[in-house]
Amino acid sequence: MSTAVTDLETVQKELLRFLESRTRRAWGPDLDLFAEGGQSSLFAMELVVHLEKSFGISVRGADLRLDNFRTVTGMTALVGRLQRQAIGAQDG
Amino acid sequence: MADPLPAATAVLAARIADRADSWDRSGLIPVGTLRELGSAGALCAEVPTRYGGLGLDSLANGELTAEAGSRCSSVRSVMTSQGMAAWTVQRFGTPEQQASWLPRLTGGELAAVGFSEADAGSDLSAMATTIERQGEDVVVEGRKVWVTSAHYADLLVLFGRYQDGAAAVVVPTGVPGVRVRRIADPLGCRAAGHADVRLDQVRLPAGHVLGGAGLPLPLLVTTALAYGRMSVAWGCVGILRACLAAAVRHSRTREQFGKPIGEHQLVAGHLADLLVAEQTATRVCEHASRCWDAGSPDQVIATVLAKHISAGQAAKAASAAVQVLASAGAADGGVVARAYRDAKLMEIIEGSNEMCRLMLADHVLARVPEESR
Repeated sequence: MSTAVTDLETVQKELLRFLESRTRRAWGPDLDLFAEGGQSSLFAMELVVHLEKSFGISVRGADLRLDNFRTVTGMTALVGRLQRQAIGAQDG
Repeated sequence: MADPLPAATAVLAARIADRADSWDRSGLIPVGTLRELGSAGALCAEVPTRYGGLGLDSLANGELTAEAGSRCSSVRSVMTSQGMAAWTVQRFGTPEQQASWLPRLTGGELAAVGFSEADAGSDLSAMATTIERQGEDVVVEGRKVWVTSAHYADLLVLFGRYQDGAAAVVVPTGVPGVRVRRIADPLGCRAAGHADVRLDQVRLPAGHVLGGAGLPLPLLVTTALAYGRMSVAWGCVGILRACLAAAVRHSRTREQFGKPIGEHQLVAGHLADLLVAEQTATRVCEHASRCWDAGSPDQVIATVLAKHISAGQAAKAASAAVQVLASAGAADGGVVARAYRDAKLMEIIEGSNEMCRLMLADHVLARVPEESR
């Protein structure tokens, strides 16, 4: 599968849209989904699946730590890093 | 490439044949039979072909699992364990760990997954098993209970506390400090090899810790269980199909008051209920599997729903099937007698009815529109 790097602003916008459609409430990029947002580990799994499907990445092993999914800003950074890694692996 | 599902289905049918009753009564499946099923890739059929698996999608593996469940819930339980072990390696293992463990799981070795402990059942936050790093090694210490398939297993995938979170570690049953004690007479799935496992200062290379990092225990366990829940749900579809077939067969041939009992309305009502149960469970499982195959985030809640509905339907329908067969179904080991005992356990394992309802309630509570709160 070829992976392109999505620009981070688009990633952030898409994630906010996803969160709002799923939870039916407004979100900010730095709001903690689990501490303040009251979301569960099941919701964290939904986020993992959504990120993988939407951005052509694979979140495995140590990248599954909750801190990566705590905020939209954190998830955006994760997507950026994993997309760059995937491109690097293709080029390498 | 040819569709691998018919061949895998045929292997299951041939290996189980009419032996489920005697396995249930003896509480054991010949381990050679399980290794043959494992080598055919049938025990963890979603493993990609590059690791020796069949590469089935969730829907096809669901059909295979239902086939096993309709014949023998003990074999299906072994499948659930093997598949969940493989899925845990796929999800949390590094590429090197996947390349090292997955071909063993499709090559005839058997695996079990241990979550529960004496004081940590539904509340897995009470888990006390520890995985401690010591130089290049880790040391595993703890007790696991009711580990399905552990009696047969070469490899155990065990969850424990690690660093600031938790991890899954692959523990070969042959290493010093591991003791596996079979639970001889479980209520259901009697030949599934349930066992308690003791780990006393079990020393392993640190490379046995999947992913190598501490992760939050709830995320880790929820992820591993997701596969198990799909497998149990489809297994319950199999139980339902077996119950429906047995009840229909008996209702056609058994005559009372001068006609087949299926023509008596109260018995016919049971047959209709059995069909409703089988169809309800099938449809909800198909929906969940399609969500998995499409990569939809809806798969998470659809999986819990499928498990909960299928287990509840199987337990109720198995009871109805015993009622229809009456004395003809009451002999221990027979298809509906087994279903009656096996289905009850499905309401407990991989998230009890009560835990499933809590998860479903949490799901809707977190999603009520703000303006209507």
